[in-house]
Amino acid sequence: MAQDIHLLRNIGISAHIDAGKTTLTERVLYYTKRIHAVHEVKGKDGVGATMDSMDLERERGITIQSAATHCEWNGHTVNIIDTPGHVDFTIEVERALRVLDGSVLVLCAVGGVQSQSITVDRQMNRYKVPRLAFINKCDRSGASPYRVVDQLRQRLNHNAVLMEIPIGLEAEFKGVVDLVSMQAVYFEGAFGETLVTGEIPSHLRSEAKARREELLDAASMFSDELMEAIFEDQVTEDLIQKAVRKGTLLRQLTPVFLGSAYKNIGVQPLLDGLNQYLPSPGEIENSALDLDADAAEVVLSPDPQAPMVALAFKLEVTPYGQLTYLRVYQGSLRKGDELLNTRNRKRIKVGRLVMMHASEMEDTQQAEAGDIVALFGVDCFSGDTFTDGTVNYAMTSMRVPEPVVSLAVTPKDNKSSTQMSKAIHRFVREDPTFRSHVDQESGETIISGMGELHLEIYVERMRREFSAEVETGMPQVAYREAISRKADFNYTHKKQTGGSGQYGRVAGFMEPSEDQGYEFVNAVRGGAIPTEFIPAVEKGFHACLEKGLLLGFPILGMRITINDGASHSVDSSELAFRQAAMGAFRQAYMSAKPLLLEPIMKVAVECPSEFQGGVMASISQRRGMITSSAEDGVFTTVEAEVPLAEMFGYATTLRSLTQGKAEFTMEFSKYNKVPDSNAEELKKTFADRLKGGKK
Amino acid sequence: MTTKSSLLKILEKSSRKGLGRGNLGVLVARAGVGKTACLVHIALDKLLRNEKLVHASIQDSPEKVTSYYNVIFSELVQALNLTNPSDIKAQIDKNRMILAYLNQSFDLRRLKENLKNLSEKVAFVPDTIIVDGLDFSKVGVEMFEGFKKLAQEFKVEVWFSALSKGIPGDAKPQAIPAPADKFDSFFSIVIELQPTQSAVELSLLKDHDTTALLDEKVLLDPKTFLARG
Repeated sequence: MAQDIHLLRNIGISAHIDAGKTTLTERVLYYTKRIHAVHEVKGKDGVGATMDSMDLERERGITIQSAATHCEWNGHTVNIIDTPGHVDFTIEVERALRVLDGSVLVLCAVGGVQSQSITVDRQMNRYKVPRLAFINKCDRSGASPYRVVDQLRQRLNHNAVLMEIPIGLEAEFKGVVDLVSMQAVYFEGAFGETLVTGEIPSHLRSEAKARREELLDAASMFSDELMEAIFEDQVTEDLIQKAVRKGTLLRQLTPVFLGSAYKNIGVQPLLDGLNQYLPSPGEIENSALDLDADAAEVVLSPDPQAPMVALAFKLEVTPYGQLTYLRVYQGSLRKGDELLNTRNRKRIKVGRLVMMHASEMEDTQQAEAGDIVALFGVDCFSGDTFTDGTVNYAMTSMRVPEPVVSLAVTPKDNKSSTQMSKAIHRFVREDPTFRSHVDQESGETIISGMGELHLEIYVERMRREFSAEVETGMPQVAYREAISRKADFNYTHKKQTGGSGQYGRVAGFMEPSEDQGYEFVNAVRGGAIPTEFIPAVEKGFHACLEKGLLLGFPILGMRITINDGASHSVDSSELAFRQAAMGAFRQAYMSAKPLLLEPIMKVAVECPSEFQGGVMASISQRRGMITSSAEDGVFTTVEAEVPLAEMFGYATTLRSLTQGKAEFTMEFSKYNKVPDSNAEELKKTFADRLKGGKK
Repeated sequence: MTTKSSLLKILEKSSRKGLGRGNLGVLVARAGVGKTACLVHIALDKLLRNEKLVHASIQDSPEKVTSYYNVIFSELVQALNLTNPSDIKAQIDKNRMILAYLNQSFDLRRLKENLKNLSEKVAFVPDTIIVDGLDFSKVGVEMFEGFKKLAQEFKVEVWFSALSKGIPGDAKPQAIPAPADKFDSFFSIVIELQPTQSAVELSLLKDHDTTALLDEKVLLDPKTFLARG
């Protein structure tokens, strides 16, 4: 794929769940001749849109996985990463954003800027992604693109500027007026593939003139040349485009395009805009951590001759094997090359190198800095960095939150049992927020993730992609335990019943630590415990942290200090000291007054202001602590911290409370102590469960 | 627990040892002197006394306001050598409510509505309201009449910050700088902040009905906003 890097675009399409981004992507692929027929998301034709490559997505009408696809438009190569719209899948969104150079924020002309758009926009800010906005669905009744532009300015703080105005709206929506060329553009042919330009309709002339003034005002802030040209009445299209581009790359200007993907209006000008205003990989600075230099940050150069550095940002299972999506950041990659995975130091050989077009692929010989390609049959995790072996870099890691909800899954028959294991093995590699373990007491397989919907989707995928029929339990909150005070231990492990004996004594104390990790301090003086047994002592304690003695949940935030002990020249062994440490742990744990911790979620509810009181009450009833309430026009966003255990079913409550006019997002914030009354109840529930065996 | 050595000193020296419920107070300074930081100090002092507080921000988002508090709190932790900062922080978070009014959406009616919702729906009854970012040059007398009524109705003290637009050194000593001077009669306490070469100087320009104003000035460290000496 060797070509001019300036003609390459790596673009994401992000949006609120119903803003129509999949339909838009489908049209883009059609106009760029990647596909030859158009299907809808909830297609009546049973085919479904091309980017929604999983059946499930087709059925639910939402996009779960960010399939990457590439196409060409006016001499530019455009890689499109379709990003998921639901907040439970934010790790997918964040991963996609990590490899993007620019993005299109799709907004619905009726719904406007909704809380999901705010979340996605916030993520884009975090990854400093320049963006364009596309106001879709201008053909719908109630469409009001001007209102959406105001919302972009007010609610998302974008310096949004219209590049087009609509010709007609709702059922009368026919085309757009391009404010740069000052021409009307209509879209003819069965799928709007033929662009016909003409004069601006007379009733729109003054509006177009006024909006163009706004555009020039905004753009001239980024170009003295344009400013002068305006004074001298010498404005050219090129000057406007250059100025808008500069503002966009600085992320100080957001050009806004309009249309209706469904009605085939306005997509081609958006594609032109994407080439025109979004950056090429050569214009974006990316950095990595040099593992040989104490993880110092190094800036990567998009030079194809430099040492190769690439990030595996997505894994996908295909009927032909595992597919690993790579973004090359520096250097080049050829078929037959040997690559180094800097996480596990394993070398792999590049067998087949392909470019993806949704679920179809094209073979290629090489890829250069900026390219997005896929490798076949490579064993790795998503998030791994590959180099050519001459440098030892890791791409800065993405924030991976700990799972907060778990669910027991039981296969219905033997065949399903094997298939379920295969599926889980696959999902764990694909998604770092998806975990799995076997509960030792009940023998059940437990899967954990970021929310109810997150896990539901995986259970569905087990059924559909792996034909694993499974039954699920009730979602469970991931509780934790932590000690609240210091407690001493002094434990001797002694065993002398036939054969060689076991002897080890461990003394010291355990105490809570501020951060949530485990810390082991060896303060033993004078060899009371021989040095070679210290690691065994540490391991013994560490093993105990997986299961607290209060209710059997993992333990957070503990510092263990050992300061004394004793050994026996013959009977002491690693095993003996490990056992001694475990005994010491059991001896001290309950005197250290363990507490139960629960995950607290940061919840943001967005609602029309008149529902503020009701929403506040609903949060308060759920043991939530409201932290702020922000008014913006007629909307209010209430932010709160709420225990996850209280959030199950909140979507339904909120819907009935606000006539479906409110939305909420939530993400994990921290662990807090469970209030005493709730802790007592939980202890009872778990005790009953243990008595009654597994349920 | 209080931030004894902070700018609250000057309030303790005032005739009624503070602003008092039902009253309005204002911090006046030129741009960049640290009005918001000072307001947050007043707020933190209240919060550390376990009082409840509403921070109404006319311009900044809740995230920005929260980060102001976090930064100033961590400076206080260091300067005052506070033990158990995470427990204190939890108490502060619990007792503070941020109400933000973005994109000119502030109006008194909404604030009142919000306060009512807070007390009726979540039993959050503030003792103090901080109003940051109100542009005194763009509001009329009726705004402060409304605030005065609100302060009395909800039995809270209300603190404002006001940007002074006067030329430094031009105004008469102890005169309230424009544009806050127009609303002089509504305020029970007016404090002016002036930067000197190495400190921020606080002076009391109005102290309830007292005519004999204290001459004494309090010097604050420009970084921590704690009293010098």
